[in-house]
Amino acid sequence: MSEPSRPAPLPAPGTPSKYVDFFLYASAAVTYITLSIYNKWLLDWIVGPFWLVAWVWGLPALVKLVRRRPVRPPRGRIEDPE
Amino acid sequence: MSWAAHQFEIYAVEAHLPKKMVGQISWFAIFFGDFTPDFLAKFWVYGFNLNGHHYGATKPYQWHRGWPGMGISHTLFFGALVCLGIWAWKHNRAWTIGFLLGFAAHVLTDVNDSIGTMLLFPFSTLNWSLHTWAYAATVKGGKYLDAAAYYSSLGFVMDLFWFFVVLGSWRVLTREFWRTRVVPADPHVWSWLGRWLDERGLLALYRGVFFYGVCRMIAWTTWAHVVARPVINGVEHHGYPWDLSWTGPWWVQHVTLPQVTPWIVLPVALLLLGAVYFVANTLWERMESGSIKAIAWRNVRRKTT
Repeated sequence: MSEPSRPAPLPAPGTPSKYVDFFLYASAAVTYITLSIYNKWLLDWIVGPFWLVAWVWGLPALVKLVRRRPVRPPRGRIEDPE
Repeated sequence: MSWAAHQFEIYAVEAHLPKKMVGQISWFAIFFGDFTPDFLAKFWVYGFNLNGHHYGATKPYQWHRGWPGMGISHTLFFGALVCLGIWAWKHNRAWTIGFLLGFAAHVLTDVNDSIGTMLLFPFSTLNWSLHTWAYAATVKGGKYLDAAAYYSSLGFVMDLFWFFVVLGSWRVLTREFWRTRVVPADPHVWSWLGRWLDERGLLALYRGVFFYGVCRMIAWTTWAHVVARPVINGVEHHGYPWDLSWTGPWWVQHVTLPQVTPWIVLPVALLLLGAVYFVANTLWERMESGSIKAIAWRNVRRKTT
């Protein structure tokens, strides 16, 4: 007999959504490729990885900043909301 | 030389570590090992222009892979020396072996172009090359011609090959793999970076090299075959012509250095790859006590200061 199904636990606050992540990675790739075809100095081993970090981490961080929420990761033990 | 293949092989090495090293080899060490040969040699290969004067190697291929020149940066001997230095400095086997594997991957991949690498340096200064594609870094053509030639030849296929090797081990790119195999091998570096970046940022940093490899492969290929309008032998082309024949493309001058017969290159390269893994496996056990002592000594020093 299978166990009774439990409701899936809610993601912890700040847990990245798969769809948002996919959008961020895809848009980072499209913008980087498009711009670098015509600005080849962008095709550099520092700029490339930095572009991804700036896009995937920087954009959400910017949104947090606009909403006046902390950008830096919390330090120490994370309290359980329950 | 290889382009995005060097980015992909970092993840391929990470995904195919010997069982006993899984979760214990530093990903950063593999990255720096793979990155060091070109970091040391490539800047001067293309050089730069200042006030109408070109500063750089007069014979890029000689500088990049030859002796005399920086060809030593593409030898297993040099990689072993750096590993000895890392071990002597930190007594950290995760970094020493990681660097060795990344470095070896770079040196062995580069035997594919028409210049190859000095595999048996310092016993021999002959280059070992499979001539799979033409080495195309020239003073006049610079980086652009080099990229166009690479992404019109079997070099492009080489990039695709390594891309699919990584896709075949796609778990290496997942959050779970990063959490369970990559972070535990390098907890201090990742936690230090974690002061500024949250998990999403750290994961992007880890995936960044793969991202760069994919994007540069697409961008250079698109530029070379869609955007560029090269004039070859007096004829303007819409994009550089493809040439997937051995030692292609036909439209770049073939340069070579004194080398061994290509027939023995593949078996010897595979033998050396096996030897590197054997040495890494053997040293891994022997380095354990040294690593533990070094960690204990570091902890003692931290407590006393």
